[in-house]
Amino acid sequence: MKSSAWRWSAATLAIGLLASLSSGCVVSGGGYGYDDNVGVGVGYYEPAVVEYGGWGRGYRVGPSRGEQRADHRDGHAHAYRSAPASHAAPSIPSRSRGGGESRGSESHPR
Amino acid sequence: MHSQRRSLLFALLCVAGTALVDASASPLPPLVNPASQEHHVGKVIFTELVTPDLAGARKFYGGLFGWTFSDVQSKNAAYAVASLNGQPIAGLIHKEFATGERRQPAWLSFIAVRDVDATSTLAVQHGAKVLFAAHNVPGRGRQAVLADPQGAVFAVLASSSGDPPDVLAEPGEWIWSSLITGDPDAGAAFYQTLFDYEVFDLPADEGAQHLLLATDNYARASANSWPANKPNIHPHWLNYVRVEDADKTTAKAVALGGRILVEPRLDRHGGKVAVITDPAGAAFGLLEWPDTESKEVAQ
Repeated sequence: MKSSAWRWSAATLAIGLLASLSSGCVVSGGGYGYDDNVGVGVGYYEPAVVEYGGWGRGYRVGPSRGEQRADHRDGHAHAYRSAPASHAAPSIPSRSRGGGESRGSESHPR
Repeated sequence: MHSQRRSLLFALLCVAGTALVDASASPLPPLVNPASQEHHVGKVIFTELVTPDLAGARKFYGGLFGWTFSDVQSKNAAYAVASLNGQPIAGLIHKEFATGERRQPAWLSFIAVRDVDATSTLAVQHGAKVLFAAHNVPGRGRQAVLADPQGAVFAVLASSSGDPPDVLAEPGEWIWSSLITGDPDAGAAFYQTLFDYEVFDLPADEGAQHLLLATDNYARASANSWPANKPNIHPHWLNYVRVEDADKTTAKAVALGGRILVEPRLDRHGGKVAVITDPAGAAFGLLEWPDTESKEVAQ
């Protein structure tokens, strides 16, 4: 009787151990990459932005829609390579997910 | 015998408990499902928010854009995947602020690449810093987090399921990204090195620059000088969600606890832009983008 109880206890322990290991593998991520460093590393936060805004009337950030380029207007050399002069500034995609096309935001052919 | 039964019951409860915990932890969904072979280097294909208030963020973004969330639980962090119309569009990570730390939560832009390691190496050669080295994320692909030479933080991602197709964003989806920096010229050159962008100089105010960064003959992002009267802004990427009505969405954001940084204003070609924060302070943009020229707002 004693050895039977011991066997039950051993089996219970083995099952519990397997369950714990299984739990550890999954719950701890085991490779989600989001464990110790929360996925983006170094506790990613931007430094406090003390000020924002101040966007004047002519301050623009959005995409273009076939707008004239202003390249070389000042004759200054740039750190980047300008797109060839023959290329019009493209826009964002206009095709809908269903496949339909709208005119307005299509990229402009070169 | 009773003790045997108790032991067995205990073991079964352990297994059942484990199964329940496992069930609550779903793996990261692929970016594109079904997987595709599309790749669009230089396109912002995903975003992540690190926030000290994950529950608050879920409530805010769910209420504002109709995003739904699924949990990915790991040992040290809670992670929620935000989806719209069944497509994953963002990840939200819970992380506490360190006491006294003067930082704020922010959205992180993931830019598509084919080879994360090669891009990271190239970036470092051109003055970038690696914040989180290249690593695999099962279900998503391989990614790394970098700071460009001016300090703007971004991530590169080689999606294992391909990149989202080039379609017009639906309302509630990310539609545009801007690098706001003190030297757009140098910024454009740096990112051109990494992503082979075509760079177009768009008309801008005197002393300001608005550069368009394009690949595959599509505009992917802009590089902007920061406003002349705000010289102390930290360089950063700003991502914009497409909305149908920037004014109404801004008002709704405020009602949900957000804050306005830039009031809704006309931008190029009828696009209306606003910049707001969520209740925890993470900034993002709203872009009202008419899908046809006939709907353009009169400027």
